[in-house]
Amino acid sequence: MILGIVLALLAGSLVSLQNIFNNKVNVHVGSWTTTTIVLGLGFAASFTLGLIFEGTEMFNLHHMKTWNMFSGLIGVGVVTCMVQGINRLGPTFAVSISMCAQLGFALLFDSMGWLGLEKVDFTLKQLIGVLVVVGGIVVFKLGGREKKRMTNEHGLAASSIE
Amino acid sequence: MKGIIFAFLGGAFITLQGVANSRISQGIGTWQAAALTQFTGFVAALIVLLAMRDVNWQGFKQVKPLYLSAGAYAAVIIFSNVTAIQHVGVTLTVALVIIAQLALTFLMDHYGWFGLQKKRMRLPQFIGLVMMIAGVVILKF
Repeated sequence: MILGIVLALLAGSLVSLQNIFNNKVNVHVGSWTTTTIVLGLGFAASFTLGLIFEGTEMFNLHHMKTWNMFSGLIGVGVVTCMVQGINRLGPTFAVSISMCAQLGFALLFDSMGWLGLEKVDFTLKQLIGVLVVVGGIVVFKLGGREKKRMTNEHGLAASSIE
Repeated sequence: MKGIIFAFLGGAFITLQGVANSRISQGIGTWQAAALTQFTGFVAALIVLLAMRDVNWQGFKQVKPLYLSAGAYAAVIIFSNVTAIQHVGVTLTVALVIIAQLALTFLMDHYGWFGLQKKRMRLPQFIGLVMMIAGVVILKF
Protein backbone atom coordinates (compact mmCIF):
# COMPACT_ATOMS: atom_id res chain seq x y z
CA MET A 1 0.00 0.00 0.00
CA ILE A 2 2.89 2.36 0.81
CA LEU A 3 4.22 1.79 -2.73
CA GLY A 4 0.88 2.83 -4.23
CA ILE A 5 0.76 5.98 -2.09
CA VAL A 6 4.34 6.98 -2.92
CA LEU A 7 3.84 6.40 -6.65
CA ALA A 8 0.60 8.39 -6.70
CA LEU A 9 2.36 11.31 -4.97
CA LEU A 10 5.25 11.04 -7.44
CA ALA A 11 2.81 11.10 -10.36
CA GLY A 12 1.06 14.19 -8.96
CA SER A 13 4.35 16.04 -8.44
CA LEU A 14 5.47 15.32 -11.99
CA VAL A 15 2.06 16.39 -13.33
CA SER A 16 2.46 19.80 -11.67
CA LEU A 17 5.96 20.26 -13.10
CA GLN A 18 4.73 19.13 -16.49
CA ASN A 19 1.81 21.55 -16.41
CA ILE A 20 4.03 24.52 -15.63
CA PHE A 21 6.60 23.61 -18.28
CA ASN A 22 3.95 22.81 -20.89
CA ASN A 23 2.30 26.11 -20.18
CA LYS A 24 5.58 27.89 -20.94
CA VAL A 25 5.88 26.02 -24.25
CA ASN A 26 2.22 26.71 -24.96
CA VAL A 27 2.67 30.48 -24.71
CA HIS A 28 5.10 30.41 -27.62
CA VAL A 29 3.83 27.67 -29.92
CA GLY A 30 0.10 27.21 -29.22
CA SER A 31 -1.86 24.39 -27.59
CA TRP A 32 -2.03 21.78 -30.36
CA THR A 33 1.67 22.03 -31.19
CA THR A 34 2.40 21.64 -27.47
CA THR A 35 0.05 18.67 -27.15
CA THR A 36 1.64 16.97 -30.15
CA ILE A 37 5.16 17.42 -28.77
CA VAL A 38 4.13 16.32 -25.28
CA LEU A 39 2.52 13.11 -26.53
CA GLY A 40 5.33 12.41 -28.99
CA LEU A 41 7.99 12.76 -26.31
CA GLY A 42 5.89 10.76 -23.86
CA PHE A 43 5.71 7.95 -26.39
CA ALA A 44 9.46 8.07 -27.07
CA ALA A 45 10.27 8.02 -23.34
CA SER A 46 7.84 5.18 -22.54
CA PHE A 47 9.13 3.13 -25.45
CA THR A 48 12.76 3.65 -24.43
CA LEU A 49 12.15 2.84 -20.75
CA GLY A 50 10.11 -0.19 -21.81
CA LEU A 51 12.98 -1.45 -23.96
CA ILE A 52 15.41 -0.95 -21.08
CA PHE A 53 13.28 -2.75 -18.49
CA GLU A 54 11.53 -5.36 -20.62
CA GLY A 55 13.66 -5.81 -23.74
CA THR A 56 11.89 -7.52 -26.62
CA GLU A 57 8.81 -8.07 -24.44
CA MET A 58 7.96 -4.54 -25.61
CA PHE A 59 6.91 -6.01 -28.96
CA ASN A 60 4.80 -8.77 -27.49
CA LEU A 61 1.32 -7.41 -27.97
CA HIS A 62 -0.62 -10.68 -28.25
CA HIS A 63 -3.05 -9.71 -25.53
CA MET A 64 -3.82 -6.37 -27.05
CA LYS A 65 -7.50 -5.73 -27.75
CA THR A 66 -8.69 -3.52 -30.59
CA TRP A 67 -10.12 -0.83 -28.29
CA ASN A 68 -6.70 -0.46 -26.67
CA MET A 69 -5.44 1.25 -29.80
CA PHE A 70 -8.05 3.96 -29.53
CA SER A 71 -7.73 4.74 -25.84
CA GLY A 72 -5.07 7.35 -26.64
CA LEU A 73 -7.87 9.44 -28.11
CA ILE A 74 -9.13 10.06 -24.57
CA GLY A 75 -6.10 12.34 -24.20
CA VAL A 76 -7.28 14.44 -27.11
CA GLY A 77 -10.65 14.71 -25.35
CA VAL A 78 -8.88 15.85 -22.17
CA VAL A 79 -6.98 18.62 -23.96
CA THR A 80 -10.01 19.81 -25.95
CA CYS A 81 -12.28 19.96 -22.90
CA MET A 82 -9.72 21.62 -20.63
CA VAL A 83 -8.72 24.24 -23.20
CA GLN A 84 -12.40 25.06 -23.83
CA GLY A 85 -13.24 25.04 -20.13
CA ILE A 86 -10.30 27.30 -19.24
CA ASN A 87 -11.05 29.72 -22.07
CA ARG A 88 -14.61 30.09 -20.85
CA LEU A 89 -14.16 30.01 -17.06
CA GLY A 90 -10.52 30.84 -16.42
CA PRO A 91 -8.05 28.33 -14.92
CA THR A 92 -9.17 28.51 -11.29
CA PHE A 93 -12.78 27.51 -11.82
CA ALA A 94 -12.14 25.13 -14.69
CA VAL A 95 -9.44 23.22 -12.81
CA SER A 96 -11.51 23.09 -9.60
CA ILE A 97 -14.47 21.62 -11.46
CA SER A 98 -12.23 19.18 -13.31
CA MET A 99 -10.60 17.96 -10.10
CA CYS A 100 -13.95 17.44 -8.39
CA ALA A 101 -15.20 15.53 -11.45
CA GLN A 102 -12.03 13.40 -11.41
CA LEU A 103 -12.73 12.37 -7.82
CA GLY A 104 -16.43 11.77 -8.42
CA PHE A 105 -15.74 9.51 -11.37
CA ALA A 106 -12.94 7.76 -9.48
CA LEU A 107 -15.41 6.83 -6.75
CA LEU A 108 -17.90 5.70 -9.39
CA PHE A 109 -15.33 3.49 -11.16
CA ASP A 110 -14.17 1.95 -7.87
CA SER A 111 -17.66 1.18 -6.62
CA MET A 112 -18.94 -0.18 -9.93
CA GLY A 113 -15.78 -2.15 -10.68
CA TRP A 114 -15.96 -1.02 -14.31
CA LEU A 115 -13.28 -2.03 -16.84
CA GLY A 116 -12.17 -5.01 -14.82
CA LEU A 117 -11.24 -3.05 -11.73
CA GLU A 118 -11.38 -4.80 -8.41
CA LYS A 119 -14.69 -3.64 -6.99
CA VAL A 120 -14.42 -1.51 -3.87
CA ASP A 121 -17.72 -1.45 -2.01
CA PHE A 122 -19.25 1.99 -1.80
CA THR A 123 -19.45 3.05 1.83
CA LEU A 124 -20.51 6.17 3.69
CA LYS A 125 -16.91 6.55 4.87
CA GLN A 126 -15.71 6.77 1.27
CA LEU A 127 -18.36 9.30 0.34
CA ILE A 128 -17.42 11.48 3.31
CA GLY A 129 -13.72 11.14 2.48
CA VAL A 130 -14.27 12.27 -1.11
CA LEU A 131 -16.53 15.14 -0.02
CA VAL A 132 -13.89 16.37 2.44
CA VAL A 133 -11.23 16.27 -0.31
CA VAL A 134 -13.59 18.13 -2.67
CA GLY A 135 -14.22 20.71 0.06
CA GLY A 136 -10.44 21.09 0.45
CA ILE A 137 -10.01 21.66 -3.29
CA VAL A 138 -12.72 24.33 -3.26
CA VAL A 139 -11.22 26.13 -0.24
CA PHE A 140 -7.72 25.87 -1.72
CA LYS A 141 -8.71 27.12 -5.14
CA LEU A 142 -11.31 29.74 -4.34
CA GLY A 143 -9.93 30.96 -1.02
CA GLY A 144 -8.57 34.52 -1.19
CA ARG A 145 -5.24 34.78 -2.95
CA GLU A 146 -3.17 37.31 -4.75
CA LYS A 147 -3.77 37.96 -8.42
CA LYS A 148 -3.21 34.89 -10.57
CA ARG A 149 -0.32 34.95 -12.95
CA MET A 150 -1.32 35.78 -16.48
CA THR A 151 -2.70 32.95 -18.49
CA ASN A 152 -2.11 32.92 -22.17
CA GLU A 153 -4.84 33.23 -24.73
CA HIS A 154 -4.75 29.59 -25.71
CA GLY A 155 -5.46 28.24 -22.26
CA LEU A 156 -3.45 25.25 -21.09
CA ALA A 157 -1.84 22.54 -23.13
CA ALA A 158 -2.28 19.51 -20.96
CA SER A 159 -4.69 18.67 -18.18
CA SER A 160 -5.05 20.30 -14.81
CA ILE A 161 -3.56 23.17 -12.95
CA GLU A 162 -3.51 26.88 -13.61
CA MET B 1 -22.63 26.79 -18.49
CA LYS B 2 -20.81 25.35 -21.50
CA GLY B 3 -17.51 25.99 -19.74
CA ILE B 4 -18.68 24.01 -16.70
CA ILE B 5 -19.66 21.06 -18.90
CA PHE B 6 -16.30 21.12 -20.69
CA ALA B 7 -14.34 21.26 -17.43
CA PHE B 8 -16.49 18.50 -15.95
CA LEU B 9 -15.99 16.26 -18.99
CA GLY B 10 -12.27 17.05 -18.92
CA GLY B 11 -12.13 15.69 -15.37
CA ALA B 12 -14.16 12.62 -16.33
CA PHE B 13 -11.77 11.91 -19.22
CA ILE B 14 -8.69 12.27 -16.96
CA THR B 15 -10.04 9.59 -14.62
CA LEU B 16 -11.17 7.41 -17.53
CA GLN B 17 -7.68 7.69 -19.01
CA GLY B 18 -6.07 6.38 -15.81
CA VAL B 19 -8.52 3.51 -15.53
CA ALA B 20 -8.18 2.59 -19.24
CA ASN B 21 -4.37 2.63 -18.98
CA SER B 22 -4.57 0.42 -15.95
CA ARG B 23 -6.86 -2.03 -17.78
CA ILE B 24 -4.62 -2.15 -20.87
CA SER B 25 -1.58 -2.71 -18.65
CA GLN B 26 -3.12 -5.91 -17.31
CA GLY B 27 -3.10 -7.30 -20.83
CA ILE B 28 0.13 -6.11 -22.41
CA GLY B 29 2.24 -4.60 -19.61
CA THR B 30 2.56 -1.09 -18.22
CA TRP B 31 5.33 0.34 -20.43
CA GLN B 32 3.61 -1.12 -23.48
CA ALA B 33 0.33 0.50 -22.46
CA ALA B 34 2.02 3.87 -21.87
CA ALA B 35 3.77 3.73 -25.25
CA LEU B 36 0.65 2.57 -27.11
CA THR B 37 -1.80 5.13 -25.75
CA GLN B 38 0.60 8.00 -26.22
CA PHE B 39 1.39 6.91 -29.74
CA THR B 40 -2.30 6.98 -30.67
CA GLY B 41 -2.74 10.30 -28.92
CA PHE B 42 0.31 11.68 -30.70
CA VAL B 43 -0.98 10.68 -34.14
CA ALA B 44 -4.42 12.14 -33.37
CA ALA B 45 -2.97 15.42 -32.07
CA LEU B 46 -0.69 15.63 -35.11
CA ILE B 47 -3.68 15.25 -37.43
CA VAL B 48 -5.58 18.00 -35.58
CA LEU B 49 -2.48 20.20 -35.68
CA LEU B 50 -1.97 19.74 -39.41
CA ALA B 51 -5.67 20.31 -40.06
CA MET B 52 -5.61 23.54 -38.09
CA ARG B 53 -2.37 24.68 -39.70
CA ASP B 54 -1.25 26.62 -36.66
CA VAL B 55 2.32 25.42 -36.27
CA ASN B 56 4.49 28.29 -35.13
CA TRP B 57 8.09 27.28 -35.85
CA GLN B 58 9.47 30.68 -34.88
CA GLY B 59 8.05 30.25 -31.39
CA PHE B 60 10.31 27.25 -30.69
CA LYS B 61 13.41 29.43 -30.60
CA GLN B 62 12.05 31.17 -27.53
CA VAL B 63 11.39 27.98 -25.57
CA LYS B 64 14.01 26.61 -23.17
CA PRO B 65 14.89 22.94 -23.80
CA LEU B 66 14.08 22.12 -20.16
CA TYR B 67 10.50 23.18 -20.70
CA LEU B 68 10.24 21.18 -23.93
CA SER B 69 11.37 18.05 -22.08
CA ALA B 70 8.24 17.93 -19.93
CA GLY B 71 6.46 15.57 -22.31
CA ALA B 72 8.89 12.81 -21.43
CA TYR B 73 7.77 12.86 -17.77
CA ALA B 74 4.53 11.28 -18.91
CA ALA B 75 6.28 7.90 -19.12
CA VAL B 76 6.93 7.96 -15.36
CA ILE B 77 3.56 9.60 -14.64
CA ILE B 78 1.59 6.88 -16.46
CA PHE B 79 3.69 4.08 -14.99
CA SER B 80 3.25 5.43 -11.44
CA ASN B 81 -0.44 6.19 -11.91
CA VAL B 82 -1.24 2.73 -13.28
CA THR B 83 0.77 0.96 -10.57
CA ALA B 84 -0.87 3.08 -7.87
CA ILE B 85 -4.37 2.33 -9.20
CA GLN B 86 -3.57 -1.38 -9.15
CA HIS B 87 -2.32 -1.15 -5.56
CA VAL B 88 -4.66 1.27 -3.81
CA GLY B 89 -7.65 1.78 -6.14
CA VAL B 90 -8.80 4.67 -8.31
CA THR B 91 -10.29 6.97 -5.65
CA LEU B 92 -7.24 7.09 -3.38
CA THR B 93 -4.86 7.38 -6.34
CA VAL B 94 -6.77 10.31 -7.85
CA ALA B 95 -7.00 12.06 -4.47
CA LEU B 96 -3.24 11.69 -3.84
CA VAL B 97 -2.31 12.81 -7.35
CA ILE B 98 -4.41 15.95 -6.88
CA ILE B 99 -2.93 16.69 -3.45
CA ALA B 100 0.70 16.31 -4.63
CA GLN B 101 -0.09 18.40 -7.68
CA LEU B 102 -1.66 21.28 -5.75
CA ALA B 103 0.96 21.20 -3.00
CA LEU B 104 3.93 21.33 -5.37
CA THR B 105 2.36 23.96 -7.60
CA PHE B 106 1.73 26.01 -4.53
CA LEU B 107 5.33 25.67 -3.39
CA MET B 108 6.59 26.69 -6.82
CA ASP B 109 4.27 29.71 -6.83
CA HIS B 110 5.30 30.66 -3.32
CA TYR B 111 9.01 30.71 -4.07
CA GLY B 112 8.61 31.86 -7.66
CA TRP B 113 10.55 28.91 -9.11
CA PHE B 114 10.97 28.62 -12.88
CA GLY B 115 10.31 32.30 -13.33
CA LEU B 116 6.78 32.07 -11.96
CA GLN B 117 5.36 35.21 -10.48
CA LYS B 118 5.60 34.87 -6.69
CA LYS B 119 2.35 34.30 -4.87
CA ARG B 120 2.17 34.18 -1.09
CA MET B 121 0.65 31.29 0.82
CA ARG B 122 -2.50 32.34 2.56
CA LEU B 123 -4.60 30.69 5.23
CA PRO B 124 -7.28 29.26 2.86
CA GLN B 125 -4.64 27.31 0.93
CA PHE B 126 -3.28 25.76 4.13
CA ILE B 127 -6.77 24.89 5.33
CA GLY B 128 -7.57 23.44 1.89
CA LEU B 129 -4.50 21.18 1.94
CA VAL B 130 -5.23 20.02 5.49
CA MET B 131 -8.82 19.20 4.47
CA MET B 132 -7.65 17.23 1.43
CA ILE B 133 -5.23 15.20 3.53
CA ALA B 134 -7.92 14.64 6.17
CA GLY B 135 -10.21 13.40 3.39
CA VAL B 136 -7.61 10.87 2.28
CA VAL B 137 -7.16 9.66 5.84
CA ILE B 138 -10.94 9.18 6.11
CA LEU B 139 -10.94 7.34 2.77
CA LYS B 140 -8.31 4.88 3.78
CA PHE B 141 -8.27 4.38 7.54
